[in-house]
Amino acid sequence: MGSEILRPPGHDRSPSTIELPAPTAWPIVSAFGLTLVFAGLVTSASVSILGAILAIAGCVGWFREVLPHEKHESVQVEERVPVVATSRPEVTQVRWMTEELHRARLPLEIYPISAGIKGGLAGSVAMAVLAVMYGIISGHGVWYPINLLSAGFFPARTTVEQIAAFHWDALIIATIIHLLCSVLVGLLYGVALPMFPRHPVLLGGAIAPVLWSGLLHSILDAINPVLNQRIDWLWFVLSQIGFGVVAGIVVSRQTRVHTWQSLPLGVRAGIEVSGRVHQDNEDGH
Amino acid sequence: MSTDAIALPGTGLASRPIVVRLHEWVTTVDHKRLGILYIIYALVFLLIAGIEAIVIRIQLIRPHNDFVSPQVFNRMFTMHGTTMIFFVVMPVLFGFANYLLPLMIGARDMAFPRLNAFSFWMTAFGGLLLYFSLVGANGLYGAGNAPDVGWFAYAPLTSQTFSLGHSTDFWILGILVSGFGSIGVAINIVSTVICMRCPGMTLAKMPLFAWLNFVMAGLVILAVSPLTAAQIMLLVDRYLGGHFFDTQAGGSAVMWMHFFWIFGHPEVYVLVLPAFAFVSEIVPVFSRKPIFGYSVMVGATVAIGFISMSVWAHHMFTVGMGANANTFFVLSTMAIAVPTGIKIFNWLATMWGGKIDFKTPMLFCIAFLFQFLVAGLTGVMLGTAPFNWHLGNSYFVVAHFHYVIVGGILFALFGAFYYWFPKMSGKMYNETLGKLHFWLFFIGFHLTFDFMHIPGLLGMPRRIYTYEPGRGWDTWNLIVTIGVFFQAAGILVFLGNFIWSYFRGESVGSDPWDAWTLEWSTNSPPPVYNFATIPEVKSRRPLWDLKHPDDPD
Repeated sequence: MGSEILRPPGHDRSPSTIELPAPTAWPIVSAFGLTLVFAGLVTSASVSILGAILAIAGCVGWFREVLPHEKHESVQVEERVPVVATSRPEVTQVRWMTEELHRARLPLEIYPISAGIKGGLAGSVAMAVLAVMYGIISGHGVWYPINLLSAGFFPARTTVEQIAAFHWDALIIATIIHLLCSVLVGLLYGVALPMFPRHPVLLGGAIAPVLWSGLLHSILDAINPVLNQRIDWLWFVLSQIGFGVVAGIVVSRQTRVHTWQSLPLGVRAGIEVSGRVHQDNEDGH
Repeated sequence: MSTDAIALPGTGLASRPIVVRLHEWVTTVDHKRLGILYIIYALVFLLIAGIEAIVIRIQLIRPHNDFVSPQVFNRMFTMHGTTMIFFVVMPVLFGFANYLLPLMIGARDMAFPRLNAFSFWMTAFGGLLLYFSLVGANGLYGAGNAPDVGWFAYAPLTSQTFSLGHSTDFWILGILVSGFGSIGVAINIVSTVICMRCPGMTLAKMPLFAWLNFVMAGLVILAVSPLTAAQIMLLVDRYLGGHFFDTQAGGSAVMWMHFFWIFGHPEVYVLVLPAFAFVSEIVPVFSRKPIFGYSVMVGATVAIGFISMSVWAHHMFTVGMGANANTFFVLSTMAIAVPTGIKIFNWLATMWGGKIDFKTPMLFCIAFLFQFLVAGLTGVMLGTAPFNWHLGNSYFVVAHFHYVIVGGILFALFGAFYYWFPKMSGKMYNETLGKLHFWLFFIGFHLTFDFMHIPGLLGMPRRIYTYEPGRGWDTWNLIVTIGVFFQAAGILVFLGNFIWSYFRGESVGSDPWDAWTLEWSTNSPPPVYNFATIPEVKSRRPLWDLKHPDDPD
């Protein structure tokens, strides 16, 4: 079977001599001449003249070696050729993953995009509930966390009273920020969770919120200074965990779909590729 | 490991007269010999440029130092930068591409063997012309010898008014001449990849090494041409009364910047794509896994090729291009981080779950991964225009691009040296010395370039000759210079290891790493014709198929 896959050098009947391009001095002569042409610009005209002569001679000699027929030399083929072999001939098959594929292209299944969107939206509700609870418990009211989220857009509202009051524009901006971020993070969960198949809720509910909170902690002063000054990090982390647990549970309960990695690009792109799918199916791919 | 033991081809040839052997090397059109010539040439210039770097760092080791004069200092950083980019890294990468490409794609030689030889000699003579300035440029004006205008030679420093004598002319001509060689070798690589692949090797089955060098060669053709044009324009300015870059006569100094950086930034990718190629071959073999996401790696490479042509002016944020231009180049710079990041993830995913063998080539590749990541992150920082306004032309920039070129490219290059040295020489290097080299260079690199960021953040400008004490720069500069000596020691161990191993090393078979690409199926070193019969492949890992006939890819 191996010889069908690659015909190793020497395994077939190889020729005793091989024709190769003959060595020649004309390239170096041409290159040296051309260099002298340029060097003459900063030294002496005679250097350029000498260079031009050499370059022309090099070109003429070169052309005469390739026109009308390229000059070759015969090289004797060595008798000894290496045997392609390995000290690791055994191959362990990953049959526990699949019985169908010759090569497992992991992951075999992923969550659909809709799973990430659903998870993000569900997580956004949980996070909103926790944030509003914080507003009520802290005594600032339900609009306080909403206004804080959109505070970067309204730098004039700096006092606690202003931030605790209802503003329809702040509500719209905060809702957009909240939904957009939630859906994007939900999509990220949808992509990442198959890589951690054993503990999806741990990833969603603990690891990711802590990482996300750490990242925000380092950059929040730049993107929303008002929120950075007033944020209660304990509640923030709790709301992130709430988001993560709910999003993780929702995403992990969705039905996975097979990836198309084993299919050729043309098929995945929906382009008609004659014969390819049929051939792959015959091979059991 | 391979079980065969192959005698070195050409055994007994060493007894021939040295003149005959020299003649063979000078007249050779064999891609392997030309590859080795490129590599040796680059190593010689690496030593020269390394010495220049040591001079720079000794000068900056303490405040008010006068180890060299300000004039010599200017020449040192100009020659160091120019040499490292044009006469070390580019040639050595061309050398590896020359040597390995035909072997990897199952060809007997490059598409144009004579053009290949011509290209090498143009590159070589370009470097010699640049260094001839040391004796040839000391003109009547007492203007000094070697070029001193910096490696990007901004106008109006290069005008006759500010650059007397011929030093700048030698800089222009040296790069111009080597540029012809670069374009020649790029045409050869593109043609070879398109036309010379063995039967069965479709583009989708081609080794990533070939893909990356293919894109690199395309970039060379696109990027070096504007530089060559700009060099000719500068010559016209200097000697024929042109005013391309003369602002007082209606020209534009900023136009030189655009010409230079539309070469200069793709050039970074010209240098780093072959480094990616090395890592893409070494990491799978030493992780005992196929590369993760081959198709995505190819796509990311092509994407880098395209995007890299649209980021050049992020070198010019401090010029004052206007908000629209700044915004465009910030966004394009951010965009190029995406395919580059994909590559980093794919290399990590290749290692993930693999049976990693921490041999010297793999150590260098692992270090490359993390150092190049840091280099990319500081690149994103500098690609943000407001940040760049604060730190442009500071030592932070110097630290960033040395992180790219040394921490990224040079580390991958060292990995490549260790990985393919057995193929090129038929001898195995000394693993202990290889690891000593790694650790010396690793420590030296981090001492130098980690700590170099800090004086940059504290306001130390690049190219400064000396500085006042008490600015908080002193200790950092001392540490940075100490690191250089660790790196120099590492380089000496590296050279000593290879010289010793070449003459005294243990002979190896054709496939010491149990690898999967075609070059490992032929003798070490390969015969002049590469393969007695042209191979035919049916997968991306043809040697895997041969070694595991019951489980082919």
